[in-house]
This record gives sequence, structure tokens and C-alpha cells, in this order.
Amino acid sequence: MSTPDMNYHAIHITKDKCIGCVHCMSACPTRAIRVSGGKARIIDQLCIDCAECLRVCPHDAVHSHTTSFASLEAFEYKVAIPSTVIYGQFGSSVLPNEILSALRRVGFNEVYDLSSICELNCAATEEYLHEHPRPRPFITATCPVVVRIIQRRYPSLCAQILPIEPPREIAAKIIRTILPKALGIAPEKIGIIHITPCPAKVVSINSPATLSKSYLDGAISIRDIFPQVLKALRKSEEDALMRHLFPETLFSGIGMGWSLSGGEVRGLKRHRAVAVSGVVDTMRVLDQVEGGLLQDIDLLECTVCPDGCVGGPLGVENRFLAKSRVLELVAAAGEHAVVDQKDVSRLYHKNFLSFDHPVAPVESRPLDRDPAAAIEKAKLREKLAAELPQRDCGVCGAPDCRTLADDIARGYAGIEDCPFVTPAKKEKP
Amino acid sequence: MGEAEPVFRRDFPVKGGDFAKAGAAACEIKEILKDLGIDAPTVRRAAIIAYEAEMNVIMYAWEARMALAVSPGEVRLTVDDRGPGIADVPLAMTEGYSTATAEMRELGFGAGMGLPNIKRNADVFAIDSEVGRGTRLDITIRTNGHKP
Repeated sequence: MSTPDMNYHAIHITKDKCIGCVHCMSACPTRAIRVSGGKARIIDQLCIDCAECLRVCPHDAVHSHTTSFASLEAFEYKVAIPSTVIYGQFGSSVLPNEILSALRRVGFNEVYDLSSICELNCAATEEYLHEHPRPRPFITATCPVVVRIIQRRYPSLCAQILPIEPPREIAAKIIRTILPKALGIAPEKIGIIHITPCPAKVVSINSPATLSKSYLDGAISIRDIFPQVLKALRKSEEDALMRHLFPETLFSGIGMGWSLSGGEVRGLKRHRAVAVSGVVDTMRVLDQVEGGLLQDIDLLECTVCPDGCVGGPLGVENRFLAKSRVLELVAAAGEHAVVDQKDVSRLYHKNFLSFDHPVAPVESRPLDRDPAAAIEKAKLREKLAAELPQRDCGVCGAPDCRTLADDIARGYAGIEDCPFVTPAKKEKP
Repeated sequence: MGEAEPVFRRDFPVKGGDFAKAGAAACEIKEILKDLGIDAPTVRRAAIIAYEAEMNVIMYAWEARMALAVSPGEVRLTVDDRGPGIADVPLAMTEGYSTATAEMRELGFGAGMGLPNIKRNADVFAIDSEVGRGTRLDITIRTNGHKP
């Protein structure tokens, strides 16, 4: 089995734009950023691609490796499966059907709505929970950052990730199964692209944690494609009227709210679920799960963006308006179900919806491989931490004093990096 | 004097009734064990033990000192509290037994998992309690050790 590069990242710092301020370093929830030589640097082993740094950088120096529209020229037939987040991006007069048809005008041969697959995923999840009474809680795998956090920081929870692929992969797998035959086009000439507000989807496509290969060929950010979609929408008001009168896609009421925190589990009827959003809160709750709590919960939905995927950093509309719009659409769609539970059950029992392999922990970063040496380094770290001023100013290039002590114990920094430790103290061996 | 092998020690004070910090010591203990390169299943067992022990102090005792000592091969946790003590230790060690109040249960605690859960996850478990004085737990977890 080929092992994908577990340290592949979607988030990068553009050196030319970085001025070495400490916004990203302070915002990083895993303390993965250091500033040295006037530039911020991401420690690959610690980064979880949550994009908190991208959100706060005042100099636009943090960018994400999403797919460019131009690169799709390589495909003869282009299919888009936009995240349901897109329905909340264009105000309250633009209907989902118009957005899908505008995407066709932008240059996609085919565009598929994901709300029905979200509903399908929910039905399969319910079935899985029913068949597996233990362990509790299971954790949803939709947010690729949550999977990364668990692999790196909560390795013992890998077995609690619910092994059903997220809607984007299920949709791409279905399309990849039926389209080449239907069109008579070679599979590799069909490009299936996700459209997303999330930089981490590129990670799950290029370095999948649960598939030997992703069924998607790339992920375009909503931000990048937004201007073209807006232009297409403006040019086609007549068309919009037709779409209102004669919608071609039936949206799932259960799947429509998937992009909001709690949306993934809203359709569960027989199980108890809890939804958490935001990276810090997600980690707090995962700490509790690792400590043996929340065992009375069947399913834990975690999304690291605030309010769910709708709060993704590569969207355009602010998340409060986007959320309000999605809620309108959810209300309009009602409890409308578009998938048949029996069909879902058949696909589920064929393992069509399952992971290829379970999520594996990514090797952690102990102070030392040798247990005795690690203990000595931990003692040194305690001693150093007591000597540092606890002001967490960041001047040394580490986000806080504790992290500087850790860096020194690992040999990556020196006590002289701290501007508060007096010269007399610095001379001590 | 002089220990044959290195030992990492750290004390964590825990205050009774301090629900705002519930789990803080257990989380720190877990982070330290991961940094020391302890295997994930052992860290999980230690996390569950530390969480339960810390919650017991917060819910029932006045204050306690949780002492962590890690040497290659084993993790020791000693929890020494000043508190009401436990009148009937064998009863408190019974699965499902709990004196948690409705509010505590509301918060998700007090399912009667505490002490039996600690014992189940430990390799060596000793409890000593005196009514009106307090309770002392002595727990050893062997790293890479296997519990059935």
C-alpha cells in the first residue's frame, strides 16, 4: 500500500509577503508556527491545516493550495460538486438551482447538488450506529481537519471515527462509477471537482486518510470561482425565471443544512448526537472524549470552522449572512427526503460508502525516542519554564514561554532567545 | 540516595468545587505523557484515570494533590485529598454506585463509574480512606502493559 505524505499541507506562508509579525503564531491552536529571521514558519508535523493563521494574517501572506480553474483544461469532461455552502453565498433572491446552472455556464459540463448525498450519508450513519453499539461516541469524519487533529493529538480516538466517507467523496465515487459508461469517455478524462470554502479539502484529496485514492480530482475555492459565477448569474435573469418555474434538481431538506454546525446530525432520528464547532472547542471536547467522557452520546459532529463549514475561510459572504440564507433554504425545503432508505441500505451493505482503511495515527513527536532521555528533557523543560517570565510576548519567535521551553529542550532554540532573561542569568551554564 | 533510573515528577493541586478547571490537570498529565513518548493505549488509560480522579476531588473533596511520577516502564499517579473520606470503600468500589447530586449528573458526571473505572484501567490500584480526613489513591500503570 502506498502511504500518502502525512505531512502534506494545504496551508503555506508566502515569504515575500510575510513581515514577521506574530498574528498567525498567536492564533495557531497547535502552536505550529515560529517566527525566525523575520519570517513565520510552519512546523509540518504540528500543522493540522485548520487555517486559523490564514484568517488572521493582515498581510495576505498565508495562502492555500486550492485547485485553479485553468488547470481543469486538462480534463475533457468537467464535473462540479459544490459544497452546500455555496447556496448561502449569493443573497436571498438567488435559488440553488440558479447557482448550479450558473456553474454550468462558467464551464462545467455537469454540476451535481450535494444535499441529497448529505441525506444519504446521514441515513448510512444511522444504520452504522445501529449496528455498532460500541464504542461511544463515534466522531464524524466530514471535516478533514478533525481527522488530522485526531491522528496527531488523539491517536487513541482513531478507532472512534465513524468509517463512512463524507458526502463529497461518496458523490464523486457515484459519478465516477456511472459517468464513464454513460458518456463513453475514459475515466481519466473526466475531472470531478469539489467547490468549497475549505482549504483542508485539498489535503483530504491529495493525502487521503481513509482512501487509497480520493475520488475527487481537485478542490476550487468558492472565493476563486465566485466572480465568474456572479457574472453568469447576472447574464441570465431570463434563465433564472425558467429555473424558478421548472426546477431540475430536487433538494433534500435533511441535507440542505449540512453546512451548519449540527447539520450533519440533524437528520438522525434514533441516536443522540452532539455538534461542536470551532477548533479550540473541538479540541476541548476531544480531550474529554479521550478522558472517557461523553459515552452516553452516540455521535459527535466536530467541525473546526466556527458555525460549521459555512464559516470556512475561503467563502465570500460573511458567515452570519450565509448562515441566515442557508437556514431560509432549510426552512423552505422542510423535511423533504429525496433518498430511499432501502437504496442507502443496499449501498451501505455493499461497503460502497465505507472507508478503504481505518484512520491510522500519525507518529507523534516525543521529546526523545529513548524513554530515559525523554524524561531528562522533560525535566529540563520544567526547569526552563520556571526561569522564563510567563509573559508569552512572542518576541523569542515562539508563541508562549512554555513552547520556548519545549523548543529549547528539543534543541531548536536557546534561552538567549528570551529578551527578559537577564544577561547575568544567561551566562549561567 | 540516587535513583537508578530517571523519574519525571510533577504535582498538580486540585481544588474541590472548582468545576471551571475540571479536567485541566488530567489534560496536562496527558500532554506530558505524550511528550514522553508513552504509547497511545497507555496514555488513554492514564487520561481516563486522571480525569476520574480529578473529578472525584472536584465533586467531593476540599482539595488534593495529584502527584505524577513517570519512569521508563511505568506511570504512577498518587491522589491525596483532604475531604470527607469514604465510609464504605467496598461499596464505593461497586460498579454503578454513586452519591453524585442531580446537578453533578446534569453535568455528565457521577454515573458511578469513578473508582471502579479507575481500578479497571490501572495495573496496580490501592485506596486508603479515613472518614473526616480524606482519601488516598495509589495507581500504577505499566507502559505497554496489557490489561485484559
